[in-house]
Amino acid sequence: SGGTGALAQWVLVELQGEVEPRQSGDLAGSLLGDLHYTCEGVPVLIVGHHILYGKVVQLEKPFAVLVKRGGAPQPSPTGPHGHYSVTALIKTKLLFKTRPKPIITHVPKKV
Amino acid sequence: AALRSRAEVDATLQAAKLNPAELLPAVHCLSFDPQAGGGECCLLQLEPGLCAELEAGRSLVIRGEKDEHAVLCSRDKTYDMKIADTSNMLLFVPGCKTPEELKADLASCNIIHSQIAGFSNNYWELRRCRPKLKKLRKLLMEDPYEGPDSRKDQTSTFSKYTTEDLLSLIQASEEEILHQLEVIDACKIEGYWRILDFDYEMKLLNHVTQLIDSESWPLSKVPLCACLEELGSLEPREMIEHILLSYGRKYVDDGEVFFEMREDKICRATAQMLLQNAVKFNLSEFEEVWQQSVPEGMTTRLDQLQGLALVDRSSRPETILLLKVEDLPEDNQERFNSLFGIRKKWTEEDITPYIQDLCAEKQTVGALLTKYARSSMLNGVKVYNSRRPIS
Repeated sequence: SGGTGALAQWVLVELQGEVEPRQSGDLAGSLLGDLHYTCEGVPVLIVGHHILYGKVVQLEKPFAVLVKRGGAPQPSPTGPHGHYSVTALIKTKLLFKTRPKPIITHVPKKV
Repeated sequence: AALRSRAEVDATLQAAKLNPAELLPAVHCLSFDPQAGGGECCLLQLEPGLCAELEAGRSLVIRGEKDEHAVLCSRDKTYDMKIADTSNMLLFVPGCKTPEELKADLASCNIIHSQIAGFSNNYWELRRCRPKLKKLRKLLMEDPYEGPDSRKDQTSTFSKYTTEDLLSLIQASEEEILHQLEVIDACKIEGYWRILDFDYEMKLLNHVTQLIDSESWPLSKVPLCACLEELGSLEPREMIEHILLSYGRKYVDDGEVFFEMREDKICRATAQMLLQNAVKFNLSEFEEVWQQSVPEGMTTRLDQLQGLALVDRSSRPETILLLKVEDLPEDNQERFNSLFGIRKKWTEEDITPYIQDLCAEKQTVGALLTKYARSSMLNGVKVYNSRRPIS
């Protein structure tokens, strides 16, 4: 359902391929990277040793973010698959499609 | 994990050989919410109009039981739901600002720590579909209302359905459901939606038509009050009013309520009453009896029976039989299979009443025939038959 109050506006970040955690273990709680914008508004994402350049896209068909609501017992007759709430709308996405540029870290000279 | 500091961000920029002067001052440090990836969040792509509905505070509901494909319903439309896969990774980020928003608010904080709420490589796609209303009739037909004298009602163990019940069971929007209830002449009795048993319905109709005849009222001006007075001792007043509403058009003249009786609908119901008594009828005999059975002043016409009866002009003698479109399958392919099982070759004129309801928004009967049937010529007339062999 729509719910009370204005819906939050989120942003979609679209990346090519998979995102893998740096260390073993899953993604939850870990850092992804830094998101900058150039003065012209081009999004730049630094992920690990890669620089990704993207673009801001206004979505022709916005998305709703659905969250499954905890299952309260259904009144009879049996209800539908499950209850979902709309928690946010997404009208904008940051699309990163260009090949990531690797960051070559400068190894300091031994003195 | 500790939040990234400005110093760390600047160090990364330096290592990346990016010039801070070419960048907006604010940076988003993105990390994954500890709950992200739990499968709790998913994306739904919105068709035009749905976004505005949500922003206006209205609800969308997903409906479907375990054996049904889920549909999404707005207040007045129904959509099929399908998963669309993408080879890309989609991250949903709350509180992430666009360049325009950052430029508009230059005093904003330098570092924005954003937590990615979820991620996915698929999303739900919507496609507008016909509401799945056949089930509505099926549910209400489980226990048709036979009148207040029926002993069945008192001892009935059948399910009865309120509006809320129907909303949770039928894969259609509320408006589509309420509209269909009107179309099938359902009525609310003691809070439950009921369909009248056909025999009881005809009994009520006969009371009214006989009264019209004995009072010599014009068919276009049947007074509600007088009907309730004269018939109130025979049947419940709500039922008398219901039958007038079902078979007449209500209007007010000089402060009084009248009904203009619907000739086509009454003739059609009379035909159904006659046809349901046997498998097939001699067409000309039927037409004679039918005309005699309808109220004085009404004229029967075969086109009143579209979607109710099928005429066979190839047999000798010509025959007519009962075939109700609402008894046929709801699914397109199944409907066509069923029709071709009844008759191998159909003209467009004969088959149209039996496939009209399958047309999606902006779809024509012709398009359906092209898709599900094969055409050929028979005695100079274009006919349609099945694309596949019928076993």
